[in-house]
Amino acid sequence: MSTMKRTLALLATLAMASTAFVACGGGTESTESKTEDSKVEDSKVEEESKDDTAESKDDENTGAEVSLPSDDAVLSIVCWTDADLKNMFKNYCADKGLTEGTDIVWVQSGTSGGEAATEYATFLNSGADVDLFVAEAGWILNYINDSSFAAPLSALGITADEFSDCYDYTVAIGTNEAGDLMGASWQAAAGGFAYRTDLAKEHLGIETPEAMQDAIKDWAGFEATAEKLKTATDGKVTMTATLGGLWQCFSTATNSAWVDGGVINQATAKEFVAMAKKYGDAGYVNPAIGQWTPDWTNIGNDGSTLGYFYSTWCLAAGAQLEQNGGTAGNWNIVVGPQEYFWGGSWLCVSPNCNTADKAAEFIRYFTTDAAAMEKYALSSGDFVNNKTAMNNIVSAGSNSNALLGGQDQFAVLTEVAAGIKMNDSISAYDQSLKDTFLKSLQDNFDKSEDEIMADFVEKALAANPDLKAE
Amino acid sequence: MSMKKQYGQPKDNYHLKIMLKSAAVFIVCLFLTLVCLVPVYLIVVNATRESNDIAAKPAMFWFEGSLADNWNTLMGNIDGQIEEINAMVGQIDENGNEYTQGRADADIRAVENVATAYSKAFNVVKGYLNSLIIAGSTTLLTVFFSAMTAYGLTVYDFKLRGAAYTFIIAVMMIPVQVSSAGFVRFMYQLGLINNFIPLIVPAIAAPAVIFFMKSYMKSSFPLDIVEASRIDGCGEYRTFLTIALPMMKPAIAVQAIFAFVANWNNYYTQNMILKNPNMATIPIMISKVLGLDRYYDYGVNYLCVVLSILPIIIIYFILSKFIIAGVALGGVKE
Amino acid sequence: MASAAQRRIKSISYAKYGYMFIAPFFLVYCFFQIWPLIYTFILSFQGNQATNGQFVGLDNYTTILIGQGTAAGASATSAEFWKSLGNTFILWFGNFIPQILLSLLLAVWFTDAKIKLPGKGFFKVVMYMPNIITAASVAALYVNLFGESKYYFVNGALLDLGLVEDPIKFISDPVVSKVMVMFIQTWLWFGNTMIMLMSGIMGINPSLFEAANIDGANSTQVFTKVTLPLLQPIMVYTMITSMIGGLQMFDIPYLYHTAGQKFSRELETVAVYIYYNFNTGTEAQSNYGYAGAASIIIFIITAILGSITFYMNRDKDEIAQKKQRKRAMKQYKAKMKKGGLAL
Repeated sequence: MSTMKRTLALLATLAMASTAFVACGGGTESTESKTEDSKVEDSKVEEESKDDTAESKDDENTGAEVSLPSDDAVLSIVCWTDADLKNMFKNYCADKGLTEGTDIVWVQSGTSGGEAATEYATFLNSGADVDLFVAEAGWILNYINDSSFAAPLSALGITADEFSDCYDYTVAIGTNEAGDLMGASWQAAAGGFAYRTDLAKEHLGIETPEAMQDAIKDWAGFEATAEKLKTATDGKVTMTATLGGLWQCFSTATNSAWVDGGVINQATAKEFVAMAKKYGDAGYVNPAIGQWTPDWTNIGNDGSTLGYFYSTWCLAAGAQLEQNGGTAGNWNIVVGPQEYFWGGSWLCVSPNCNTADKAAEFIRYFTTDAAAMEKYALSSGDFVNNKTAMNNIVSAGSNSNALLGGQDQFAVLTEVAAGIKMNDSISAYDQSLKDTFLKSLQDNFDKSEDEIMADFVEKALAANPDLKAE
Repeated sequence: MSMKKQYGQPKDNYHLKIMLKSAAVFIVCLFLTLVCLVPVYLIVVNATRESNDIAAKPAMFWFEGSLADNWNTLMGNIDGQIEEINAMVGQIDENGNEYTQGRADADIRAVENVATAYSKAFNVVKGYLNSLIIAGSTTLLTVFFSAMTAYGLTVYDFKLRGAAYTFIIAVMMIPVQVSSAGFVRFMYQLGLINNFIPLIVPAIAAPAVIFFMKSYMKSSFPLDIVEASRIDGCGEYRTFLTIALPMMKPAIAVQAIFAFVANWNNYYTQNMILKNPNMATIPIMISKVLGLDRYYDYGVNYLCVVLSILPIIIIYFILSKFIIAGVALGGVKE
Repeated sequence: MASAAQRRIKSISYAKYGYMFIAPFFLVYCFFQIWPLIYTFILSFQGNQATNGQFVGLDNYTTILIGQGTAAGASATSAEFWKSLGNTFILWFGNFIPQILLSLLLAVWFTDAKIKLPGKGFFKVVMYMPNIITAASVAALYVNLFGESKYYFVNGALLDLGLVEDPIKFISDPVVSKVMVMFIQTWLWFGNTMIMLMSGIMGINPSLFEAANIDGANSTQVFTKVTLPLLQPIMVYTMITSMIGGLQMFDIPYLYHTAGQKFSRELETVAVYIYYNFNTGTEAQSNYGYAGAASIIIFIITAILGSITFYMNRDKDEIAQKKQRKRAMKQYKAKMKKGGLAL
């Protein structure tokens, strides 16, 4: 079927390209395709007719696995922030002798992952030059299930078996309904619990990460420690920073998507509301602090909280642990009560991609090249999506993170990654429902559990008329 | 003597009362002035402060010296900060820990990330340019075509004149929101998303401005002039361009100011149409700054707000007299 | 005696020029306003999300108005629409009342010849200033000053002074945030309304005030017996335009939210409701149908309010308004003549 589609696409492309040639010669506007059966081809055709010089080069691809053209010099990557991408990007440019800006550009759309979830749609639709785009687990399905936004990796000639060394859940999330692999992640975003060693020592008498892990190895231990901390500090130091972090850790265990068969899955949310109310009322967490906000950064540094549920890319992104405070070195990371992952960034291919060769090279470098990934992990502290690379680093034992007082975070995080109950069931609604849920929870925190759930369900249904609640 | 006293007293009383009332009014006005100015003043103050200091002590009323640093972060010039960080390597901090190269690297990454986040979200030069292009061209189109329409409705007598004018008055109050869903869908179909055209061309049709211009012409544009110019052999378009337009300058000036300000400030429509960050205007950029997370700098944040209102405030204080006179005319209420 | 040229000109029909001069307006208006409006109307009969583009009859209207529809969340959608309508009204009312009272008071003071007020011009300039600042920036300004933790100006100051124990939720609390938006809206608009009312008061025949003074009326009496009744038309006009403006309230309620959220549901106005329903990402996620239906409902409300103003303007106060406009125009021209702006 897909071969046939591809052949059809090629025929259509050639036909359209010749029309475009005529059209360009006549100085009239570009022709629009009427072929409706495959949007991928449509958009590609439009791309072709836009580009005066496109026609001749298309022959090169005839018969090859690669079905997208390579006729643009600049690889354009859409992303909401390059903070996570940048360091790998620098390595890549250095290794391949490329220059950012002339050979590769990254285009910003949205300023946060949540915003990008919706901003991308309009941006990708707008006809801008897009070759690759970066997506998050929470909303990737919106894009990879829609052929007008994303093309399979196979369109670049990348096959699924190239990702055998990746952590499985990243492949599961990058696969669409039809079973095509649409995105590849360079991160395996295992998360741990990062805590202030000085506070732990002062208030809890805990001196080593092992002792800390022992104290919080399950939720009962976590609660007992939180209570101890509360008593010791007169409620001035919360156990953890945000409900958002707590949710991330808690929810991974259930391995369930927000929506299943068009019905909103409320079970995990209900459990979490009960837990959040308990923790919030007891003062183990401050429900007013929003995830990723400046407040979130600050409370760790001024000693208002003991620790964060902290993902690997937070460590990679730089000294957030020490922004505004000089607490660097006073942190340690442990597995915490529950193994979990948080986020990850998938590289996806736009059907309008016109730099197929470069895009393929880029994706391979980022997601399958163990040596390059190891180099990046060591220099940035990010946890890469390659088991070989990660195991090499841990067994070499050479990694030490200055923010964590010299601790090797990878030793902890590989343990987490190995223990993650793979949350491979995701739905396209995950991001928006999670946001809605946490907002309902925060806004109605003083109300009863039932009222919080009712508020959430009401808002979720209002925003998503396709869904049902039971 | 006694007569004088008799008349003098109530008069003094009256004066005293007026004086007291004036003083009271003055105090109220002074208070309202403070209410209007203090928020603006405070963001300017905070734009000159460093993020850490703001977090440590947010309530400050006087300027500090970090404006240049904040500006550099916003512009992505962080070489100075990186040098500073590197110079600190090897020192011992207040907790007795050594400031290692590893910590310095992490700090540098944080500085870079903050600078990138802000310089991408609030590219001030691009923002000014885009806003200027949009506000400038809409202003020209609005005043020119509104003057033209008003002229057509005033000078010529034709069958549909009354109907046309009634239509213009009737649609004057239709909010843009009611048609925006269709507008956006339509623009998608035309492929005009991420294009300035849907923001500029509709400015040709500004019913409220036409209404104003028409009232102005009615009260101060003698129709005899048109006839005189016809006798001189002047064509209709030339009459409009060379005689009518110059005579309408006062009305055009006041409407141009309002059109410029309204379009500079228009977040709603611009945000619907412009999704490409390279085309973002100042209002869009400031909303992006509001949405920033993870990488955050209080000082730079304030600086963005200041920069976003600076041009409009400058224009206002230069032209305030005309603007206020224009509002008094019942100009355009957005 | 008319000359030959004049006679010739009189006999020429200039009607076609009339059409030509107004043609650009109508072409552009139809293309960019009328068709989108009709299109919105069409969209209001079409489905949402997965059913985008399919005809669904009155489903969207019944869903948002009475909560009866095919979607499982129909009643929630309806509740949200009504809540947004309620919010719009609350926010509008809460800013209009203080705004009109304050503006009226100031307008009366500023036009009272008896009150000696130094720096009157300065006060006017400063009080109008907020109105000209980009609304998006105003939202950002208040969000930055009134942030919900001790790291922001107002809460930091309150905590330092020991006036509160916990930071006040200026942005997310349902009541406090509404009061804040009312305050911001008043802050934005009172200068504008004041100047409009001032020109209204100045349009009142001065002999009426003189007569009242001779009759020994005090300033309260002058205000209630002369100023207010004569200002009534312009005040009603202000109210209705402000009401229509209130239905469009968007920038501040939409952007006044805590970090990491798209907008605050507690401040969701009808304009915000419409906007996020058609502007939330992919076509498959957008609720064009609900947005369209809500738009048409707002259009109808606006049309009713608009025809009231239209009707009012038509009769008795038309003359008064015309006079006032003329007077204002004269003053304006005098000002222009005095110089300043070289034209």
